[in-house]
Amino acid sequence: MLTWLIVVPVVAAIVVVMVPSKREEIHLPLGITLSVLPLALAAYIFYVFEPIAGFQFTENAVWYEPWGISWSLGLDGISMPMVLLTTLLVPIALGASTGIKTRRKEFVANTLLLEAGMIGVFLATDLFLFFVFFEVILVPMYFIIGIWGSDGRKYAAMKFFLYTAFGSALMLAGIIALALTHADQYGSPSFSLADLMSLELSQGDERWLFAAFALAFAIKVPLFPFHTWLPDAHTEAPTAGSVLLAGVLLKLGTYGLLRYNLGLFPEASVDAVWIMGTLAVVGIVYGAVVAVVQPDLKKLVAYSSVSHLGFIVLGTFALTSGGLQGAVIQNVNHGLTTGALFLLVGMIYERRHTKQISEFGGLQKVMPIYAGFFLFMVFASIGLPGLNGFVGEFLVLIGSYTTLPVLTVIAASGVILAAIYLLWAYERVFTGVPEKEENKILSDLSPREIGLLAPLAILVVVLGLYPNVLLDKIAPSTERVLDHIEATTGYEVPEPGRLGDVFVAKGEN
Amino acid sequence: MVTPEVQWIAIFPELILALGAAAVLLVEVQWKPRIGRLGLIAVFTVLLAFGFTILQWAQAEDALRVGLTGDLVGFSGMILMDGFAVFGRFVLISIMGLGLLAGWRFIESLGRRGAEAIALVLLATTGFSIMVASNNLVMMFLGLEVGSIALYVLAGMTRDKTRSDEAAMKYFLLGSFASAIFIYGVALLYAGTGEFEILAIRGFFRDVIVTRPAVILIGMGLVIVGLGFKVSAAPFHTWAPDVYQGAPAGITGYMASMAKIAGFVAIARILITGLPQFDQSWVPVLAGIAAVSMLIGSVVALVQNDIRRLLAYSGIAHAGFIMTGVVGGATKGMLFYVTVYAIQLVGAFAIVAAVSGSDSSASDIDEYRGLAKRSPVLAVSFAVLLLGMAGLPLTSGFVAKFAVFTEAWAGGYAWLVVMGLLMSVVTFGFYMRVIVVMFMDEAKDEQVAVSATVRWAVGIATVGTVLLGIVPEPLLRMAANAFSL
Repeated sequence: MLTWLIVVPVVAAIVVVMVPSKREEIHLPLGITLSVLPLALAAYIFYVFEPIAGFQFTENAVWYEPWGISWSLGLDGISMPMVLLTTLLVPIALGASTGIKTRRKEFVANTLLLEAGMIGVFLATDLFLFFVFFEVILVPMYFIIGIWGSDGRKYAAMKFFLYTAFGSALMLAGIIALALTHADQYGSPSFSLADLMSLELSQGDERWLFAAFALAFAIKVPLFPFHTWLPDAHTEAPTAGSVLLAGVLLKLGTYGLLRYNLGLFPEASVDAVWIMGTLAVVGIVYGAVVAVVQPDLKKLVAYSSVSHLGFIVLGTFALTSGGLQGAVIQNVNHGLTTGALFLLVGMIYERRHTKQISEFGGLQKVMPIYAGFFLFMVFASIGLPGLNGFVGEFLVLIGSYTTLPVLTVIAASGVILAAIYLLWAYERVFTGVPEKEENKILSDLSPREIGLLAPLAILVVVLGLYPNVLLDKIAPSTERVLDHIEATTGYEVPEPGRLGDVFVAKGEN
Repeated sequence: MVTPEVQWIAIFPELILALGAAAVLLVEVQWKPRIGRLGLIAVFTVLLAFGFTILQWAQAEDALRVGLTGDLVGFSGMILMDGFAVFGRFVLISIMGLGLLAGWRFIESLGRRGAEAIALVLLATTGFSIMVASNNLVMMFLGLEVGSIALYVLAGMTRDKTRSDEAAMKYFLLGSFASAIFIYGVALLYAGTGEFEILAIRGFFRDVIVTRPAVILIGMGLVIVGLGFKVSAAPFHTWAPDVYQGAPAGITGYMASMAKIAGFVAIARILITGLPQFDQSWVPVLAGIAAVSMLIGSVVALVQNDIRRLLAYSGIAHAGFIMTGVVGGATKGMLFYVTVYAIQLVGAFAIVAAVSGSDSSASDIDEYRGLAKRSPVLAVSFAVLLLGMAGLPLTSGFVAKFAVFTEAWAGGYAWLVVMGLLMSVVTFGFYMRVIVVMFMDEAKDEQVAVSATVRWAVGIATVGTVLLGIVPEPLLRMAANAFSL
């Protein structure tokens, strides 16, 4: 069943390419329709997903025996929300792409291939396969930024590509080293995650391997100081590109840290808690401070991503129940809210062809529905209780306070800063009276645009009020990560760490 | 009088290729047919030679199974029919087929001299095919020279163009210098061991402990230098950009891949099979050459504005990557890499010939502006081939890099692997630059005329690149079975 999740978007892309270029009006609706299929499949999988710790729906087929590589897929509580998020955001991103007038066919096909790759990264339980997907998705994203982006697109696309390719190069060295270590210890190389988790690594080896993987993921997240590609990529990318970049691609980094760094190198992870935590907190504060002074609305949202993703990394390396659960659910939350914010920025850009905050003012009067959605998403992003952002950030902060109290206190200031830059931006764009002539004649959201934002808004409320709908299914898997760390190292999660989570999940073992 | 032992089967492929070359020339002199007819002879020759190679492959596998590997030595120890040799032939002949297809338009454009070009292509393959199959170092030199001289002439095929003359001249002068160095190395190896045969040299070192190996080490070094030149590894690479740029584009891909395939098979044969006792000496040297090649090739390629020079420098980098596999002491990854790279190279040059002209004219990167709009299929194919060379997963290039890097890592050369991986990222830089120009820049108005043969060659290369990236198993298994005696 999981293979279909990857195959369906690929087939959809081929179908779209088959439609002759002359029938321009067909490509986008066709792409949107086809991209609903993986969403339906993912929704079904979510429905039948059991709240247990291990991988479910596993599939395993030998790819090349002598190297021990295989097409192994599996889904657990950490990857399931990400797959759901990916399949949800793709139709929405395509739906927001009516503004793309040139080479639509290629655009839709690229987006669908990107979807297949992203789903593949989350499903892979073989490191070779994981790397293949991790690297392949760079190409469609590179084209999406480079062909359909704005003025500086070529530079941004190249920067995006080379930065991330550089990171993954060292990770590949690490993967090779792991497989060969397996060959040393068990007689044959293996890339299977489960096999590699049982390796005996010397402290030195484990540390550099941790560093190699962490660098690849830190660039992807991006953690400070590897974040410089992100604002460029976001500003230049078309709306759909930004939505998928922020919504899913960055999560590959946080997902990788949680799945691979904690899973494969528990000892080194425990040792690196302070380093990673500090980088995360620096990112939180730095991203927020830089976001305050951005004159460009899209860049502001981009830097807010740097800040928000810092929370996820902090939660991950807090190594407590709350921290990990918060990290996973915050992955989803950030995808929903920031995805929505990028959609909103894209919508105003289509109308006014500028993203400069100073160009706007008083939009509340002209576009009340738009303003309403914007404010709603701003609140979700700040973490207003009752909306989803609160759940995630609260879990992260409570979880990390146990192990990293000082850092947590500093990180909490990021919440306040978020309120400052987002609300201040809202104030400048929406409040007051519209002064510029162009702003007075802007049309409010069309039913199509409301249709794109509504599902995100509904999920924001649902996850805010009843997060257990996801947390129940996440918790067993995150607990398993902690069990693994405790079992393989001398580390023990300090007392309230495994009890103090507010939303104690059922099914915890 | 003792009659020399003759096993015709051992040299059937070469025999057929040489006879094919002769037939093309004779038919041309006698009947002056349309060039298409000569093409048919060439196709027939390729298929026949290919058929015999498959036969030899089956024979080699049988011999290995029953343990009668001694049967695979022919002509009193001159020629080998082991899997290594047969794999090399197999690749050489396939690439020649692809190369003829890709260069057909160029051969047609030569008019009556097209027959010469076809004959030279067949002869070059004959030479390199002997080279990969020879056990005797002098035989290897003969093969090398037959192949190289044919290539020197091919490089100057468009003799009305100064650039082509310059390329041929440079290639010839530096090439014969390198051949001389190679044969001097062979002479010193002979002086040190009293043997010309690679298997005998290995036997010699098994039985005799050499206390003062200076002559042997110098000989070995000279052999490495000579062959390093042929595969355009740094620091013996300086000829490559000028020759790639000046030789007729229609045939450059073929030329470059032939020399690389045969050169690497010979390096592996001499060093891994013949001189395994000296690996303490040659492995670090090869590692150094690999590192320098990767560095120079990929960094200098970044600033090239001519596609052919870019491909030349990237070829130097690839020589380094392939060398990484030899450093590991295994041949599987190296053979796989050479094969898939040759396919990509021929395909890429077929596209260069289609866009910039198949003769020796310049191929400025500007000519590729907006190719995606003018000829989407060609642009997508070129992108796939370039990404394949860069080593993107799901292309054959990734599997190849993965294979050689794994071998080098297992051989204890982690630093070389890390460097190789970083240099791969740099190669992405310049390959992506071409892709940017093709897909993201405004189109020029010129249309691109693609002939049917080029379309086939590009199609085969592109599909092969993707297919071998997704299903590498058959070729990998073959490369793994390509044992050396």
